[in-house]
Amino acid sequence: MRIELRGITKRFGSFTANDRIDLVVEPGEIHCLLGENGAGKSTLMNVIFGQLQPEEGEIVIDGETIKFANSGEAVRRGIGMVHQHFMLVPVFSVAENVVLGFEPTKSFDRLDRKKAADEIRRVSKEYGLEVNPDAVIEELPVGLQQRVEILKALSQDAELLILDEPTAVLTPQEIEALMAIMRSLAKAGKSILFITHKLKEVRAVGDVITVIRQGRVVGSVPPTTSEAELATMMVGRDVKLTVTKEAAAPGDEVLEIRDLVVRDDRGLAVVNGVTLNVRAGEIMALAGVQGNGQTELVEALAGMRRIESGTITVRGRDVTNNKPREMLDEGLGHIPEDRQRNGLVLSMSVADNLVLNTPRRAPFARRGTRNLDAVEQNARQQVKDFDIRTTSTRELVSSLSGGNQQKVIVARELSRPLAFLVASQPTRGLDVGSIEYVHRQIVNQRNEGLGVLIVSSELDEVFALGDRIAVMHEGRITGVVDATTSRETIGLMMAGASSQSAHD
Amino acid sequence: MTDLATPTPSAAPKVIPVGRTRVIGYITAGLGLFVLLAFGLGSSGNAHSVLTFTPVNTSTNAPWSIGALTVLTRYWNMAAGLIAIAIGVHMIVRRPAKGAMVRFGVAAILFLFALLLWAGRDPGPSQGLHVNLTSILIGSSALAMVLIYGALSGIMCERAGVVNIAIEGQFIGGAFFGSVIASTTNNFLLATLAGAVAGALLGLVLAFLSLRYLSDQIIVGVVLVTMMSSLSSYLNLQVLSPYPNLNTGNLASNIAIPLLYKIPIIGPVFFNQSGFFYFMIVLVSLISFGLFKTRWGLRVRAVGEHPKAAESVGINVIRTRYINVVLGVAIAGVGGVAFMASQGAFQVGYTSGLGYVALAALIFGRWRPSGAVSAGVLFGISAYLALNLQTYNIPISTEILGMFPYLITIAVVAGLVGRVRPPAADGQPYKRD
Amino acid sequence: MTENMADVLAQADPGSPVERRSLWTRFSSKSPVVLALLALVLGFLIGALVIIFSTNTVLDAWRGIFSSWGAPGHALKVTFDNVGAAYRAMFTGSVFDPSQFWHSIATGKQWDNTLTPLSETLTYATPLIIASIAVGIAFQTGIFNIGANGQAIMGGIAGASIGSMINMPAIVHIPLTLAAGIVGGMVAGSIPGFLKAYTGAHEVIVTLMLNYVIAFFLVFVLLSTPFQLPGQSNDISRTMHSSAQLAPLFGAASGLRVSYGIFIAAAVVYFAWWFLERSSLGFDFRITGNNPNAARASGINARRVIVVVFLISGGLAGLAGVVQVSSTTHYVDGNFLIGSAGIGFTAITVALLGRNRPMGIVWGSLLFAALGVGGRNMQAATGIPLDLATIIQSVVVLFVATPVLVKEIFRLRSSSAQGIQLATKGWGS
Repeated sequence: MRIELRGITKRFGSFTANDRIDLVVEPGEIHCLLGENGAGKSTLMNVIFGQLQPEEGEIVIDGETIKFANSGEAVRRGIGMVHQHFMLVPVFSVAENVVLGFEPTKSFDRLDRKKAADEIRRVSKEYGLEVNPDAVIEELPVGLQQRVEILKALSQDAELLILDEPTAVLTPQEIEALMAIMRSLAKAGKSILFITHKLKEVRAVGDVITVIRQGRVVGSVPPTTSEAELATMMVGRDVKLTVTKEAAAPGDEVLEIRDLVVRDDRGLAVVNGVTLNVRAGEIMALAGVQGNGQTELVEALAGMRRIESGTITVRGRDVTNNKPREMLDEGLGHIPEDRQRNGLVLSMSVADNLVLNTPRRAPFARRGTRNLDAVEQNARQQVKDFDIRTTSTRELVSSLSGGNQQKVIVARELSRPLAFLVASQPTRGLDVGSIEYVHRQIVNQRNEGLGVLIVSSELDEVFALGDRIAVMHEGRITGVVDATTSRETIGLMMAGASSQSAHD
Repeated sequence: MTDLATPTPSAAPKVIPVGRTRVIGYITAGLGLFVLLAFGLGSSGNAHSVLTFTPVNTSTNAPWSIGALTVLTRYWNMAAGLIAIAIGVHMIVRRPAKGAMVRFGVAAILFLFALLLWAGRDPGPSQGLHVNLTSILIGSSALAMVLIYGALSGIMCERAGVVNIAIEGQFIGGAFFGSVIASTTNNFLLATLAGAVAGALLGLVLAFLSLRYLSDQIIVGVVLVTMMSSLSSYLNLQVLSPYPNLNTGNLASNIAIPLLYKIPIIGPVFFNQSGFFYFMIVLVSLISFGLFKTRWGLRVRAVGEHPKAAESVGINVIRTRYINVVLGVAIAGVGGVAFMASQGAFQVGYTSGLGYVALAALIFGRWRPSGAVSAGVLFGISAYLALNLQTYNIPISTEILGMFPYLITIAVVAGLVGRVRPPAADGQPYKRD
Repeated sequence: MTENMADVLAQADPGSPVERRSLWTRFSSKSPVVLALLALVLGFLIGALVIIFSTNTVLDAWRGIFSSWGAPGHALKVTFDNVGAAYRAMFTGSVFDPSQFWHSIATGKQWDNTLTPLSETLTYATPLIIASIAVGIAFQTGIFNIGANGQAIMGGIAGASIGSMINMPAIVHIPLTLAAGIVGGMVAGSIPGFLKAYTGAHEVIVTLMLNYVIAFFLVFVLLSTPFQLPGQSNDISRTMHSSAQLAPLFGAASGLRVSYGIFIAAAVVYFAWWFLERSSLGFDFRITGNNPNAARASGINARRVIVVVFLISGGLAGLAGVVQVSSTTHYVDGNFLIGSAGIGFTAITVALLGRNRPMGIVWGSLLFAALGVGGRNMQAATGIPLDLATIIQSVVVLFVATPVLVKEIFRLRSSSAQGIQLATKGWGS
């Protein structure tokens, strides 16, 4: 299928998410769409997939101008999409998910489950994507769930496959395998639109790379373009991909985790015997693919998840199974993974959010009554010190940009006396300027002797910040290595190899 | 072709948090202990109870009869108590992953059975009043039927992702208009239709406010109940009182199914009922079949679980929800008519919270029609006994007995929420981006 | 689109008629007060429809609309007469009666009669304000306490018992009676609180069911010693001693029932304001209400918050109950807070109307109290049932809960789909 976008413009109120975008995907081509978070990639995909209707411009498929009222029509026209957040019903079986919307039926509207399962087996075989049609989605590992998403698109005879940030949840080895599948699909004549913000991946798999920035196409380049060039196109200026930092001068151990076992909501031991330590004045970076227990580990550190066995020690004091309040009092600074969910109250003011976890601390309150003057004064100071862009301290946090929201959290956490800092995916979804800023702040704290634990699934971030790197896989630490270790080694460790065997 | 070389974490086994099974186990065992001590050892050793199985007031003049069964109260009740204790202890110790609710249900039935034997014991305050099981089941079935209508209504709405907490108000609406139409036309088919239409209109209001305007579904529901109860009270005074012939309260007559109604014990309970009862059974089967066997059901459930995924394959989420809510609330309206047809003329407040009990039955029944039936039966029997146990002169006041169905509802909700999983998108407003 | 166009035009051409409308829209789409007033207008309109469709003379007049040339006019007149009479009776019964007022001005007499409607409205509003604050504080914490009515009944029972069964000087007796009411409400409130905190039981179902349980409990208590009025077989309690009663503000001789209870209500309003806006605990509550996850991460103990919210909310509802008893009837009977007298239910609508803010609740309570008191007068004067007031109240709240709909009806510019600041989630939470 040849698909051509001509002058696609999509606005949300006064904000223009896509601005006169032109794009051509040839049959059998892997076309990469590269851009930062918030550049308008997902909006564009939703336009192609019929989930959004553009204000201007047209979509031309094989010479025919098309208008999709909804995604069902797009699917019928041969467009398939693998969403970043899987569009799978967790309690349904693989077969039910694959046929949803296009169900084979018998009399009385009954589902023809046998036909559905047969169809899945046929497509699985054709493309080598083995999966049990009767398995329930929520019981499958993430990699297999993604496979189901691909199957779902293929079984509707998709000729154009859109993959929206498909690698975020995969190990480097799984990414390799996915790329192999993409290549073979392209060879079979399918067109592929691959969306990502990772430079290495586009160069590895793409035939053509189109870069977009702030809703506009910056240009299309061949995969031989250097990473530095691509990065510059992406952000519009030269970027330093690393933070300059002096060698660490580690001091005493501030945080010690020993044989930690933590269960997730389903009762599985997703943290399964983790041992790790962080010293004052160093940054320990915890690398690993999402969903290997990092989230639960951090929750346990923050006192938000019960610890089944093992111990956590802060500056020599046993704090195992402390309550969140007690952990904060022990000097835990926490930049949570999901800032809007756990870090902020969006419907409250910047000033209130800046004292969210210290409301009772002097001078913000005395004997149960808040001192709003002190809260306000604190807010003015932080807004100034941390360069939070807001019209007023009374402004609701929801009206701030993502980067400034993160700055509110960073300001709040770093402005009180800390024993150690846990920062989980601290720069996810931020623009490059904010990333640099947040990294700088963290490194500064480390220089002043704070022990820092960074949890990140972005290898770039891990290498930029980490003095030592620990890798987590399936609830265990597969090894702790120093920051000079090669990407390949770390990649293997993320896939479960121990540090020794990964070196071999 | 390349296969995804996944270093596969072994497919996660389905683990249910075990804590609650143990809690329910303790409750069950406690129930059993209570039965053992109060109803078992609380009856004197020589006391006996008489169970009978021939419905009284039966117009069908059953040509069959089963003799009375005389049992020793103390030992039967001790046995019932011990069984319940055993079930509870098993749950505490072994923590079975499934069937906690079924087990609790069995213990609850044992409790009710023992309570009856104890109430009717001789010597005892009732002076040997026979325990007519068939009559009790017939009486309970009327309440159970209404509860099941309500729960089915909730299933239709909540499986599509809209919380319908206003079942009580929809019962009131159905009962009111059903009574007016039944009284004027003396035709229960028309009355049912009127109840369904009244329900559908109420459903439209709920759907309109929560789907188009994304209002909080629970608030809208609660306010709708207030509105319906005041509106019905208003119309009762303004219209029904001056024109009593609009609210004569004729009861739906029973339709005996030839031969089957003669089956001992269960015949009169299941096969000599009003049309509403049979219609309820048809509805249960239809919805059960529809939800779990058909394309329609798959789509409805997808909408209730993951509306975005449904939308992404071209299913119209909003339309599906509209249709389900309107149909679902129409069922509650019919439930109101059924209540009227079994209880008599419309009175203000006479549904007395049955709609909320239906909601609890829905939760207890895990959003499944079959579960709703079991829960409806359990709650129906409790509610019926609460109203009628006084005939046995037992030393418990009417008021305390009256609290019973509500207390059971609280216990069930407290024990189960968190264990049972509602449709994932239940109650969450949906907006296309 | 056209609305935006209008704005653009308005900016380009000041002084055009478009501008006035634009000002109006900007003013109204931002003001919750205007929204509430518009909802009230809609409520009265729908109430009028209910009257029209349930009054024979009006319907007859419309049926005969084609019978003569004068018939349509006659029908309109009959409609306005009936609806007007009802709403006039509501007004004169709850605010003041102009003719009575002029009579008092002219003669200087019968001021008590003139002031009675206002006094009644305030009497009714006093416990309503307290109960609505109870519901509102819970709402601000993301908790839907539908059990305020049951909690108020418990407070009333406890207060009536302490007030009637012991004898002591008023300076001790009144506080003790009020405290008993608070404790009674707390006991009732603690049940859903603990169940929600420790088992996850949804508070809506638990509090609803408890309302029924408490209604039975009320009758049970009133029929048993020592609560029952001795020598009675009805469900009625002993009468509170005068030392436990909240005395009428203008003395018993005035005939005006408004009591010192309004100072209690005022204190509760101040407390609620301080609690929500200034106290650390209230800050915790608001964080919990707006984002339970962030609350947890910030070291707030969610279980404790839930239990404490229910204790405060239940305690205030209990206070409302005891204030109601000790300022009006001085005894409790089987009809206490049952049916249309159930201030705990009205309190839910008031809290929503007042957006859970203390001052909003005060205005909302005065308004709904006036509707209730006026409704009684309407029933006496025109025979239209008091329930009309409740119907209007629920319609008003439905519209307040759906601001976008109101704006659409009145063709106002819709700023954003801002709902009520409350998130009752599904059954899981």
